[in-house]
Amino acid sequence: MDDIETLMERAASLEVSGAAARKAGEETAADGFFRGALEFAVKAVDQSAAGGSLHVRLNVLRATARLSLDCGEVVEARRLIDEASDIEGFRDQRDEWAELRDPSSWPDGWLIAAVRRDPPDASALDALVDRYWKTLFGRCLLLTAHHEKANDLAQDAWYRVLRARHALKPGGNFPAYLTTVATNLWRDTQRFARRAGPMAEHRMSSLDAPVLGDEGETIVLADGLPDLNSRDSDEQKLLAIDIDRALEGLEPRLRDVLLARFITGESAAEIGRRYGRTEQTVTGWIREAIRQMKLHLEEPAQVAGGGELV
Amino acid sequence: MSNEISIEQLLRWRAARAEAEAPPAPRAARLLELARPWWETWPERFQRLVERLGSIQIAYGHAMAEPVEARRSGYPVPTLIVRRAEELETSVCVLYLGVRDGRLRLRFQLEKAIAHMPDTVEATFVAQGFTRPLFSASAVLSVDNEYRIDCELPEKLARDWKELKVTDRMPFRLILRSDKEGP
Repeated sequence: MDDIETLMERAASLEVSGAAARKAGEETAADGFFRGALEFAVKAVDQSAAGGSLHVRLNVLRATARLSLDCGEVVEARRLIDEASDIEGFRDQRDEWAELRDPSSWPDGWLIAAVRRDPPDASALDALVDRYWKTLFGRCLLLTAHHEKANDLAQDAWYRVLRARHALKPGGNFPAYLTTVATNLWRDTQRFARRAGPMAEHRMSSLDAPVLGDEGETIVLADGLPDLNSRDSDEQKLLAIDIDRALEGLEPRLRDVLLARFITGESAAEIGRRYGRTEQTVTGWIREAIRQMKLHLEEPAQVAGGGELV
Repeated sequence: MSNEISIEQLLRWRAARAEAEAPPAPRAARLLELARPWWETWPERFQRLVERLGSIQIAYGHAMAEPVEARRSGYPVPTLIVRRAEELETSVCVLYLGVRDGRLRLRFQLEKAIAHMPDTVEATFVAQGFTRPLFSASAVLSVDNEYRIDCELPEKLARDWKELKVTDRMPFRLILRSDKEGP
């Protein structure tokens, strides 16, 4: 029979392979490695119960609880944590154990592994939703410029994510995925809305040509708009409304591209890959979006007697 | 003091403010209930629809026996359109089908025009002889009056359907229902 040390070494080796496979997006392989590691670790837990120091037993239990979470086995992880809590020395390591017990401190990978299982772990899902809800809602509000529609869109995005939760990748960029789902849903509704309308595809295609101009991606505005750091909440509310209206005035594609560039931080080349267009074309769209934003934002400033945008 | 602002700064400021305006996050229990597949929520209705779907195959037996060259695309796929007050038997014509990188890209059109079809429907894929669906996905109406699906496939199906061509007999039938419709 293998000793505890050998079992844990095997578990650690498989865990490393699992982490590498997960990072590479090979989830089936990753799952196999992590489950193999967990099997060795569980054997080590059994052996540590039969004899050995309490310190070693605690370490083995902790490593096994972590592996359980890698596999999305939340119930098993909690059982191991409870088992450890009865052992002398547990209190000395309570911060580390507290992290294992509290889903809000888990990395995305553990939360996703717990959510993609059947049945999904509700506490892990709550933690995952809480972690990204505000960011998701913020993006949805910028897309829809409407509080209730933004709430519906954000919930709809979660609904879609959960419908396909078995395919979630614990090693992937979850917040980016969530934003993409919401943006795609919004684009689908926009696509339908413009069927045969004034925003029909053939009219949008005029935007495909790169817009050449002197403007860079960032246009500097001066004077006309309130200070972003103003303490006047009314002034800030008005500015938010102006920005929403300016965004609303953009054609859906331009709005999406502008937000992808400046909020998500995607490059023109990355956006181009999504749309199947060249980097140059996307740069043209961004310039056009900035130009239109500027025009929209100039109006309230001029009405208020403010200076012009430069 | 300069109050020069760039569009990027404005957008970031608005995004931060929008995040601060976020309502409370929905709870997991509610989201899971919403995301529960309709065939689990209403299993008896699903069984009845599957039986009806099977009978359409007989009704379309003649069309399905036509040589494939005689048609503009593949075999018609027997389809049930489920609405709140009615169930319509029809078929869809698959215009494009591609499976790559585990994703299914599918375009289809209803063989007969049906009034008041929603812009988004949930397409439930059912294999012959099975009592559980293969999977379901959202189908979005496009500018060309085609429904389009772009979704991740379960691993086994992604492997099995990799070589599937639009002119092949489709290994599924469809139940189309409005996205969030009740029983």
